[in-house]
Amino acid sequence: MNFEGKVVLVTGSGRGIGAAIARAFAAEGASVAINYLKNSEAADEVVTACCTEVGDALAFKADVTVGEAVDDLVSNVLENFGKIDVLVNNAFKPYTFDQENRKMFWELDWSDYQAQIDGALMSAHGVCKAVLPGMRRRSNGAIINVATDLVARPSIPYHEYTTAKSALIGFSRNLAVELGPLGIRVNCVAPGLVYPTEGTVNTKEMIKDTISMQTPLGRIARPEDVAGPVLFLASSWSEFMTGQTLYVDGGLVMN
Amino acid sequence: MTQEKIIETLLDFIVADDERAIVGSTTSNEVFNEIALELYRYQFSFNDPFRHFSSQRGRTPRTVKSWQDIPLVPINAFKKLCLSCCRPDDAPYLFTTSGTTETGVKGKSYHSSLDVYDASMTRGFKEFFIADRDSIEMSVLYPSEEVMPNSSLAHYFSLAIKNFGTPQSAYVMNHEGIDFEALFERLNEAEVNKEPHALLGASYSYIPLLEEMRAREISFSLPAGSRLFDTGGFKTKSNAPTLDDFYTDISRAFGVPRDMCINMYGMTELSTQFYDQGNVVCPSVKFGPHWIKTRVVNPVTGRELPQGERGVLAHCDLAHFNIVTSILTEDAGIATADGFKLLGRADGNDARGCSMAVEEFLNAAQT
Amino acid sequence: MIERGGYLPGLSVDEVEWQALYFDGVGSKFEIQVPLLSEDQVRTLTTSVRNAARTKLKAMPVAQIIEIIDCAINRLLDRNDPYRKKCEEILPLVTGYDAEMIRLGLTGYLKTFRKPELQKFLVEDFANPTILDDFQPVPKGGYARAYGPDLLTHIWSGNVPGLPIWSMISGLLVKAGNIGKVPSAEPLFAGWFAEAIAAVAPEISDCFAVVWWKGGNTRLESILLEGSEAVLAYGGNDALKSMRDRTPITTRFLAYGHKVGFGMISKDALDIQKGKLNAHKAAYDVMRYDQHGCYSPHVFFVERGGKVSPREFAEYLAHELDVFESKYPRRSLSDGDLNNIAAWRNEEEIKSFDDPAGGLIGSAGKSWSVAFVDHTERLSPSSLNRTIKVVAVDALAEVVPLIAPYKTTLQTVGISASPDQLFNLSNSLALSGVTRVSALGCMTKPEAGWHHDGRFNLLDLVTLTEIEQSAIDGADTLATFVD
Repeated sequence: MNFEGKVVLVTGSGRGIGAAIARAFAAEGASVAINYLKNSEAADEVVTACCTEVGDALAFKADVTVGEAVDDLVSNVLENFGKIDVLVNNAFKPYTFDQENRKMFWELDWSDYQAQIDGALMSAHGVCKAVLPGMRRRSNGAIINVATDLVARPSIPYHEYTTAKSALIGFSRNLAVELGPLGIRVNCVAPGLVYPTEGTVNTKEMIKDTISMQTPLGRIARPEDVAGPVLFLASSWSEFMTGQTLYVDGGLVMN
Repeated sequence: MTQEKIIETLLDFIVADDERAIVGSTTSNEVFNEIALELYRYQFSFNDPFRHFSSQRGRTPRTVKSWQDIPLVPINAFKKLCLSCCRPDDAPYLFTTSGTTETGVKGKSYHSSLDVYDASMTRGFKEFFIADRDSIEMSVLYPSEEVMPNSSLAHYFSLAIKNFGTPQSAYVMNHEGIDFEALFERLNEAEVNKEPHALLGASYSYIPLLEEMRAREISFSLPAGSRLFDTGGFKTKSNAPTLDDFYTDISRAFGVPRDMCINMYGMTELSTQFYDQGNVVCPSVKFGPHWIKTRVVNPVTGRELPQGERGVLAHCDLAHFNIVTSILTEDAGIATADGFKLLGRADGNDARGCSMAVEEFLNAAQT
Repeated sequence: MIERGGYLPGLSVDEVEWQALYFDGVGSKFEIQVPLLSEDQVRTLTTSVRNAARTKLKAMPVAQIIEIIDCAINRLLDRNDPYRKKCEEILPLVTGYDAEMIRLGLTGYLKTFRKPELQKFLVEDFANPTILDDFQPVPKGGYARAYGPDLLTHIWSGNVPGLPIWSMISGLLVKAGNIGKVPSAEPLFAGWFAEAIAAVAPEISDCFAVVWWKGGNTRLESILLEGSEAVLAYGGNDALKSMRDRTPITTRFLAYGHKVGFGMISKDALDIQKGKLNAHKAAYDVMRYDQHGCYSPHVFFVERGGKVSPREFAEYLAHELDVFESKYPRRSLSDGDLNNIAAWRNEEEIKSFDDPAGGLIGSAGKSWSVAFVDHTERLSPSSLNRTIKVVAVDALAEVVPLIAPYKTTLQTVGISASPDQLFNLSNSLALSGVTRVSALGCMTKPEAGWHHDGRFNLLDLVTLTEIEQSAIDGADTLATFVD
C-alpha cells in the first residue's frame, strides 16, 4: 500500500493503538498528523519514529472533545500538510479495563456514560465535521473510526465504554450513507483486547490467557495488529467498501 | 532567506564553473534541488497568491520534498494573479507578455532586481550562441529597450549587444519596422570585410525581411562564423512556414549554414532561455543551462512522462526567483536524453463532434 | 479483413484509389480504407444517383420506403446481424468512445427510426404523408404534391456514431437521391447503413452514395455542391460559410452549425431525494458521448434555496461522474484534448481565488472535471470530455440574460422545474434561441421526429407543386364526359 503524497490525521496517536496506526501509515509514505492530549514527549517519540526516508509526521496537541480545539487542530494540519485524505478517529476517554474491579451497572451514573460518549462519539463527530469541507472539495476521503469487538460480544460488560463505541458504529454507518454520494467512505475497525496499551497495562495475565485460549489465532492483539485493517480501509484496495466494521481480534468474534 | 542572500546564492550557482555547473551531475542536481526548495519556501512565505495556489494543490513547505513536488503554475496565472515576492510597486522592472491572445490581458513578471536575470542571460547566451568567440558584430531585428521597456526580449537583446556585440553592432528595427537600407548595407559590409556577422530577431521578423529580399532579388553570403538567431517561432498556424522551410529560406538568403541558425526558446514567464545547436534537423533538440530543468508532463495531472512521449513542457527556473520557479507552459514537447524537442503550441480540437469550440462560441456572441 | 468506408454504387473496389486512415485503438492502431475519388468519379456519381432516384425512388410509395428503412434499422438493432456486430466492434476503436456506451447509445438511437417512429416523423411535417406520393387536396382549394430534391447532398461532421443517418433517412423519406460525405473522425457508419438499405432493397441500391474526402478538399466538394438541389451541411460556422459560398444560389443550403447545450435545475427539484437523482441524470447527460453532441450540456445553472444547495449539487454531480467512469470510461484523449482540459481547469482554479465558495471539485487525476461558480456567470462551452460547470443563481429566470448573447449557438436545454416554471422559462429560452427543451437525463436522446435546431426535417427539403382550383375547373370543361 502506497500512501505517498497522502495526509492522514490520527486522533489520540501519541501512544498505544493510535501510535501504531500512525507509524504504519508513515512507513507507507504518508504524512501523518499525530494528535495527542497531554504527553508531548510520547507524541514526539511517535513523530521521530514516523519521520523516515518516506514518511513524515508532526505532532498536534488538541483536546478533540472541545469544538474550538478541533477546528484549530484541523486548520493547523491543513496549514502544514495542505489537505487531509484520511481521518482515523482513535481518541477516546481514558478507560481502565479491569475485569475484576469494573463498575457494575448499578454503580454507574449517567455522567460515566456521558464521559465515554463524549470521548468516543462527540470527538468523532467534531473531527469529521471539521475535515469534511476539504474532503468534499476533493470528492474523496476515507474516515476510519476505531471501535471495539466488545460491541459484538460484550464478554465483559464495560457498560459505558462499549455503549459509546456501539454508538460510534451506528454513527459511522449513518455517515457512510450520507457521504457515499460525495465520494467519501466511512468504516470502523473493532479490535479485541489489545496489549500493551494504557488501558490494558494492568490487565491480569490470567485474563489475557483466557481470551487467548478462546481466540482461534491463539493470542491477543498487539497495537500493530490494528494498523493493517486501518490502512486497508484507508487505501484504494477497499474503494468499494463503506459502512463496514472489521473485527481485529484473531477470530474471537465472527460476523 | 533574505532576498540579498538568494541573489548571492543564485549568482554563485549561475557562474559556477565546477561540479556544481555540470548539467546532470550529482552535485549540480543536489545544489539545484536545495536552491529550488529554498526558493519555494521563500515564495510560499512572501507571495500570497502563490501560497494560496500551492495550498489549494495540497502543497506546503512541509510536503514539497524535491523540486519536482513544487506545484506548476500555469502561464495563464501570470495574467490573473500578482505573482511577486515583493510588492509590485516596489519591483523596479516589469516584463509583460505581448497580450495579443484572448482578452488582451498581459502576463506579468515583476523583477525586484535584474542581476540574476542578466547573469542567467549572459552565461546562457555566451555558451550556446557566442560559443567560441568573445564578441561578434550584431544586427538586431527588434526594437530597443527604450522603445519597449516592458519587453523581456528587448532587454535580452540589449544585454546581447552590451556584453557580446562589437561597437558596430546596431538595432535595425524601429517604430516603422525594419530599416532595410541600413540592414542591407551592414550585411554588404560584412561580406566585403569578411567579418562574421550575427543577425538576431524574432522568428516572425524574418518573414517581411525575406519578402523584401525576394522583391529586390538580393541575397547575401555572409562570411564563415556568421550566425542567425531567431526566437518565438510561429504561433498562428495559418500561412506560417514549416520550420524546415523557414530554416532553408533564411539559410539560403544569408548564406549561413543551418547548423549556425540558432533558435532560442524563452518566455516572459522565465528568466532563463533554451537554445539548440542549429537547425539542420527540425524540430531541433533544445538545451538549457544547469539552473533550469525541464520536464515533459501530462498537463492535467502534472505527472512526468517518460522520454519520447509527447506532452507539455514544464520548467523549473531558479533564476525566476522573485516570481515563481516552476511553470506549466502551453508548449508541446518530447523529452530526449539530454534536452527536449519543442513541438509548438499544444492546443487542438482533434475530434469535437458537433459541440462548439470556445473560440467559435465567443465569435458568435451578439453583444 | 480491411474495413472500407463509403458506399459507391456503380464503382468496383478496383476502380477506386484508397487511402488508409489510422485510429488509435486500445493497444493497437486500427486501419480503415477510405476512397480517394477523382473529380470524374464524383461527377459520375452525382449523375447516376440523381438519375436512379428520379426513376426509382420517386416512383416508390413512401409507405414502402418506410418498410425498407424499418427492415434495415431492425438489422442494425439485431445484435447477431453482421452490420450490428461491426458497429459494436469497430466504432469504439474509431471514435474512442466506450464500447458499452456505444452499444446502448446505438440501440436507443436506432429504435427511434423503426416503422411507427418513422410514421411519426412523417406526420410531424405532413398532415397527410401521401402528399409525397400523389396530388392531394389542400385546404385552400386545389391539389398539391411534395417533391424531394433529385439530389440531396449531406456534409456530415463529428464523431458521434450514427448521427448521419438522421439526415439520410430524411432524404430517403422525401425520395431524394442522397450523397453523403462522411467525416474522417467517423467514416464508417453511414456507409454500413447504405449497404444495409441496399441489401434490403436492391432495386434502390443506386439511389444513394457515401463518399469521403479530406476535410477542406473544396474541389471535390464543389462538384457535389454544384450538382445538388439541396444541401444539408453540418460543421463549424467557418466551414459552413465556405460551403455556402460555393453552393449555387438556386440550391437550397440548410446549415446545422455547432451548438451548445446547458441544464437548469429549479429549487423545487432539489430536495435531498430529487437533488441526488437530478445530479445522477445531469452526470448522465455529461457522460454521453463525452459532451461531443450538439445537445450535450456544458453548464448547469442551479437555483439557490433548495434543500440541496448548488454547491452540494455540484459535489453530487462530481461523484456521479466518478461512478460513471467505472461503468462507461471516458474515451482516450489526445494531447490537444488534454491541454484543453488543463487550460479549462487552470482557468477555473485561478478564478476561484476571488470566489472562495467556488472552485474545482475533485482532483486532477480524475477522468472528469467539475467546477462550481458561486456567482452569476455567462454561459460558456466546456473543454469537452466530461468537464462541466455548475453555476449558482438566485432564480432560474436570471439565466436568460446569461445566455442571450449566444442566441445563434443555442439548442438543447435540460430542465428540471415545476410545470408553471417549465412553460414560463421555455418561452424566455425560446426567445433567446433555444429550440429544444428536454428533461435532465434526456438531453442526448432527442425523441423521434425531433425538429433539429427547430427546423422541419422533411418539409425543409421538399418543394410543393400545386394544381390550383382554376386549373381543375378548367380541365373539367375539357373532360370527355362533358355534356
